[in-house]
Amino acid sequence: MLFNSLAFALFLPLVLGGTAALPLGWRWLWLLAASLVFYGWGQPGNLLFLGGVTLWAYAFGLLLGHGRSRGARRWLLTSALLGLIGSLAAFKFYDFIRAELPEQWASLWPVLGINAPAGYSFYTFAAAAYLIDVHRRELQAERNAAQFGLYMAWFPKVLVGPIARAKPFLDQARNGLRADPEKMVGALQLVFWGLFKKVVIADNLAPVVDNAFAIAPYAAPLELLIAVYFFAFQIYCDFSGIADMAIGTSRLFGIELPINFRRPYLSRSVSEFWSQRWHITLGQWFRDYLYIPLGGSRAGVARTYLNIMIVFLVSGLWHAGLGYGLGWSFLVWGLLNGLYQWAQMGVSTLAAKLPVPSLLPERLSGALAIFLTFHLILVSWVFFRAASVEEAVLVLQRIAAAIPDLPSVIRHYPFSGEHALGAGLIALLMGVEMLDERRPLAQRIAAWARPWRWALYYCVLGAIVVIGSWQGSRAIYMQF
Amino acid sequence: MDEAIAVPPPRRRTILQFLTIGLGLYLALWALSEAIVYRSGHDNPFFKIATADRTHYDWLILGASHAMPLAFDDVETRLESSAGVSIINLALQGVGPLYNDVVLERFVRDHSASGLVYVVDSFAFRSAQWNADRLADADLLARTPFDLGVARRLLAESVSGDLPLQAPLAYVTGFPKINNPDRFSLDLWDSVTLFDRRYRPSSTAAAERVAYLYPQGSENPAVLEHYLDMFDGLLDRAEAAGMSVLVVKLPLPSSFVAGLPGEADFNAALEEKLASRGLNLLDFTDRMQDPRFYFDSDHLGRQGVEALATEILVPLLRHQDPVETDGKTAAE
Repeated sequence: MLFNSLAFALFLPLVLGGTAALPLGWRWLWLLAASLVFYGWGQPGNLLFLGGVTLWAYAFGLLLGHGRSRGARRWLLTSALLGLIGSLAAFKFYDFIRAELPEQWASLWPVLGINAPAGYSFYTFAAAAYLIDVHRRELQAERNAAQFGLYMAWFPKVLVGPIARAKPFLDQARNGLRADPEKMVGALQLVFWGLFKKVVIADNLAPVVDNAFAIAPYAAPLELLIAVYFFAFQIYCDFSGIADMAIGTSRLFGIELPINFRRPYLSRSVSEFWSQRWHITLGQWFRDYLYIPLGGSRAGVARTYLNIMIVFLVSGLWHAGLGYGLGWSFLVWGLLNGLYQWAQMGVSTLAAKLPVPSLLPERLSGALAIFLTFHLILVSWVFFRAASVEEAVLVLQRIAAAIPDLPSVIRHYPFSGEHALGAGLIALLMGVEMLDERRPLAQRIAAWARPWRWALYYCVLGAIVVIGSWQGSRAIYMQF
Repeated sequence: MDEAIAVPPPRRRTILQFLTIGLGLYLALWALSEAIVYRSGHDNPFFKIATADRTHYDWLILGASHAMPLAFDDVETRLESSAGVSIINLALQGVGPLYNDVVLERFVRDHSASGLVYVVDSFAFRSAQWNADRLADADLLARTPFDLGVARRLLAESVSGDLPLQAPLAYVTGFPKINNPDRFSLDLWDSVTLFDRRYRPSSTAAAERVAYLYPQGSENPAVLEHYLDMFDGLLDRAEAAGMSVLVVKLPLPSSFVAGLPGEADFNAALEEKLASRGLNLLDFTDRMQDPRFYFDSDHLGRQGVEALATEILVPLLRHQDPVETDGKTAAE
């Protein structure tokens, strides 16, 4: 079931009503049933995948919890992770690698032909985090299979995260699913702001992006440039919009999910972008379960550089297949972000050794840092969006070649209504984000007089209804 | 924005006020969108019925896109004056018997016609895509003026399981109209601009078009049977409204016809159905094979429509001149 669908608009009040009507002790069971309905909606076969991963993690969690010998526990964890990450890798890469092999070898491998369902990589990572935490004794293995099932299947997060850790989630579920009435307004604000970002901004930018990338070799360079900018905001609003809806929806039931985005395009460095602002829960997952176990930054300079590159290459692989085909471009995307981090670390080290007085006022240098970071990320998004490395390079080459003529081209370019709408929506989004950065928007709104507050609510709801794109489009990040 | 901010929960009365104002604003949008539908309407058959300038017509034309060129440009006016009859053409691209039956039901509620010309196309009897899916199509609902009878019929179709519940819900709430990104552009089929074009036949284009029109091929006889029964019901409705009925197949290029799946079976089944009512299928498929008569792989262009009018339509619609087709006569 999609958040931006009529089915969900009917499903949510029904589940909320049912939850409110039930005694506290029964609510989690009702929500488990609702989550299974949500996930299996239209594709009940998907429940087999979710059920399989849940049972696997639950069983290995119990075994790890009971295990005494260190060797046995390590062996159990390795087996469990091999099963989880191996299935994820197989679904993603088996057929892709087979297609890349020489024909005489490829014919020896059978075709797997299985497309893993939406959200598979999210709940696989959640399960892996749970098992590692149990192995580290940071968390006791959950004995109640149904409550563990709720953690895995919790409908607000099952499709596109956030990748919630088991401990805080299960603690909240055990302590009674009671929504805080004082957080209801904020939760609904978040749900509708997320919906606005998804259906009004992301889905209205999508046609411009899709049309340009569909004919990348022939599209006008300015059209490609617009598409590249629009894509940066499309993917942000698509993913963060759904994440906001997930967090807000979950809050309506009394379960807080971790924040996943924090105004990423206001980052002053690429490392800030990845560690504090973009897909935060995935970044934390990689930090806690890959980067630190590899030695993090404590194993020497060369090793730190290597660890960072490993994390970004693995992140590239994780993102492979997100709706734009499976290709080496995702690896290049990861590599590029790893190189950005290297460059930043190098410059920081150099700057620390050779203190240079700042020539620019702080605000201006901050704005320049934001501008530069955004454009570095923008270039990497081209590899994310393009169908292949060749196409990404072609797009960048064509844009670069046309830059000297841009001023005159822009003057005579036949901009469409879609361009104007897209630019207006991006300006609006960035305005909101800048205000939110200085002081949380929810606080500002709470201080407004009621007529102004309601006028804003009606404007947002009106935009969702009047200019929202409701073609049933899936979220980009949901597709694997 | 996503940090949890605690604010005192609103009182029940405040929530009610907020919802009431919201509902009022939605109703205002609904009314505005309805007014825009009337300003930008053109092709939609329900729009044509709602804005028809007379209550009685000599002929009502129903069918899919192959019948639409009969209303392109000034063709309908010229046809009316040549045959001395009044015509309302309610054909629409990609619609089958179910959609046309809803149109007919709406038409006969406050209009009448002496006769019905139903232009049949086998594709429209082969898939729900051209029937229930078209009734539920947001693009069409966005152009369909609100009418209580139509809403009731959509709900009935939904209850009987032929139509998803979203269709009547979308129609009643007016959401497709409020949300229509093309709300201010004229509801005109793009192909009207190609009407004067002379088409160069292409077997690839014809094959692609056939594949598009017959997504399920002709494998499922139960589907055909279902829509033939529905068509039977449509003819019952027309006859009950006092219309004499002509069931017609318009000319099509042989390169296109050759690729149609199960066309002989369709013709046989349809003829059997019609024979039980004392009607003939007037099959002009093989007529007018010169490519100059078509503007694309299967639609009559201006020259084709003019030739069709002279040779077939005018005598047919005059109610007096017998028209020969495959040895059968259009008996009136």
